[in-house]
Amino acid sequence: MSDGSTRTDRVAGLVVAALGLAVGAEATTFDVLFRADPVGPKALPFLAAVVFVGSGAYLTARPGRGGVWPPRVILARMAGAVAAFGAYAALLAPLGFVVATTTTVSALSILFGGPWRKAVGAAVTLSVVLWYLFVWVLGLQLPLGWVWGSIWMR
Amino acid sequence: MGVGVDLDALTHFAGGFAVALQPLNLVLAFAGVFVGTFVGMLPGIGPINAIAILIPITFAAGIPAASALILMTGIYYGSQYGNSISTILLNVPGTASAVVTALDGHAMTRAGRGGPALAMAAIASFFGGTVSIFFLVLFAPLLAEWAIRFGPAEYFALMVFAFAALSSLAGGSLVKGLAATAFGLLLATVGLDPNSAIPRYTFGQIKLLDGMDFVVVTIGLFAVSEVLQLLEETERGQAAAGSYGRVMITVKEFFSTLGTMIRSSVLGFLVGVLPGAGGTIASFLAYSTEQRISDREGTFGKGDIRGVAAPEAANNAAANGAMIPLLTLGVPGSGTTAVLLGALLGLGVTPGPLLIQEQPDLFWGLAASMYVGNIFLLLLNLPLVGVFVRALTLPRWFLLPGVAALSFVAVYAVNQSPFDLVLMTGFGVVGFLMRKGGFPLAPVILGLVLGPLMEKSLRRAMALSGGEWRILFDSPIAITLWGLALASLVVPPLLARRARLPLTAAAGRGETD
Repeated sequence: MSDGSTRTDRVAGLVVAALGLAVGAEATTFDVLFRADPVGPKALPFLAAVVFVGSGAYLTARPGRGGVWPPRVILARMAGAVAAFGAYAALLAPLGFVVATTTTVSALSILFGGPWRKAVGAAVTLSVVLWYLFVWVLGLQLPLGWVWGSIWMR
Repeated sequence: MGVGVDLDALTHFAGGFAVALQPLNLVLAFAGVFVGTFVGMLPGIGPINAIAILIPITFAAGIPAASALILMTGIYYGSQYGNSISTILLNVPGTASAVVTALDGHAMTRAGRGGPALAMAAIASFFGGTVSIFFLVLFAPLLAEWAIRFGPAEYFALMVFAFAALSSLAGGSLVKGLAATAFGLLLATVGLDPNSAIPRYTFGQIKLLDGMDFVVVTIGLFAVSEVLQLLEETERGQAAAGSYGRVMITVKEFFSTLGTMIRSSVLGFLVGVLPGAGGTIASFLAYSTEQRISDREGTFGKGDIRGVAAPEAANNAAANGAMIPLLTLGVPGSGTTAVLLGALLGLGVTPGPLLIQEQPDLFWGLAASMYVGNIFLLLLNLPLVGVFVRALTLPRWFLLPGVAALSFVAVYAVNQSPFDLVLMTGFGVVGFLMRKGGFPLAPVILGLVLGPLMEKSLRRAMALSGGEWRILFDSPIAITLWGLALASLVVPPLLARRARLPLTAAAGRGETD
């Protein structure tokens, strides 16, 4: 949308500089009663803050050109993908690995333009294969889903 | 004495084969290079993601440190081979280090000589790997011996050098590289300060007291943001590879490229040892050097087989060269070696000058297995190219959600906590914005992994001097390292200009073909 404009760099510079100020302000609260070493816990955060403010100010003052942002349709698709990632975090514990993975992987496949029947089929297969591989072969612990347990108990 | 040391190294190296040839390690070396070939070739994975995904999985599966490292380094240098396949056949470089290979490699494919180009890439990679492993075995112990004298002040200066070099060479602008490094350092400070036990940047979140797990950050920044980025390109159809002929080169072609391979391997190794530079710069420099030395008929860029041999030998040699500072100093100079350092620390192995003495089996076993892995790669690549090429036609809607699912498993396996999946998603969005804004991601990982070590060295140095800052610039070694750090901020822009000029000319010629 802003091909060749300097807006991306200017905004990025402001964000980086603001982050630096916030990081530096927060670091001033790292007070310790007894200092075990002459440097203390503030030094590295202050260093990071100084670099942030310096590079942010430079970017804002002398921005380069570039930063081509995708059109709205694609941004919406990306928001969908982020939602699918978030849904995974929410669904994993209650519904378990297989259901959560099938749901999110199907959604992502469809967002990538996969035909939905094939996408769901592939997602189911993948989830079961990964469950078998990680839980039975490699001995990892993946959630079964507490919802199923409480339904079964009833 | 020098000869004595060298012979010693070779004896130890031979002993390393006893470790490398153990059945588990042999299987893992094979699995590493096999998976690595796909990782280097396919979009959306890359060696950094693949290694980050494997770290928690190998921990949970209880694979011993040396074996886990053999698997991960196999992926690392195997991906350099895989890179060349998609580059030569489809003109789609998997990573930046293969961009130059595309010039002559893809030109050969269009001329119906894709098979010889693939064979050349495999043989040159093997050659570069062999030369650089030999150098690694000879020079790593010497560097380690020298680095034993490093105190905390020297280490601090060394890390500043590594940050400066990666910031200026990671691609894009220097200020953006520095900001990315600072972001990594900031993330490293999150959690309880080990010295004073006060919480930093935790915002009252108990889950952040342990700090940011670098597997979570890395997978978020690289894998998740890559998935988001590739959503932009779903419309682009999957290109199918045409016919490429027999994957073979003639004896005459081999000997005509021998000089190129030797020069490029040595150059690539030297560039690889330097922090920040890595495979991309190595392949660019090797290509432009070869062009200057041996392009008498002006055939570079038009499908000259030496134009494939030079970058491929160089980037493999650089990948192995980069293992030296990682293993002997404990200070990596690139994103991928930073992830390897994170893996080592997680496995309870602290790389540094004492590693070779204290864990000889790990060091020499790894060196030997790298050689074994290179042989596997050569044997795999010549006859099995057809299998790899078929994987290139896998649709993205199948491939990328699969990568995402593996990322979920890995992130969850770190702490068994869904909170980490939220963090991962957040870092995915940040990573995407950084990519779009032209900020390099590798310095973030380097800052995150080295941050705690850097802070520790600084505090130790200052405790030794009683708060006198001059200790940081007191020894000749420290002063040299500060000088190198300064030079790496100033010199690369000039060098890059020199290396790119003949290259853009070559690219221009390649396009007009």
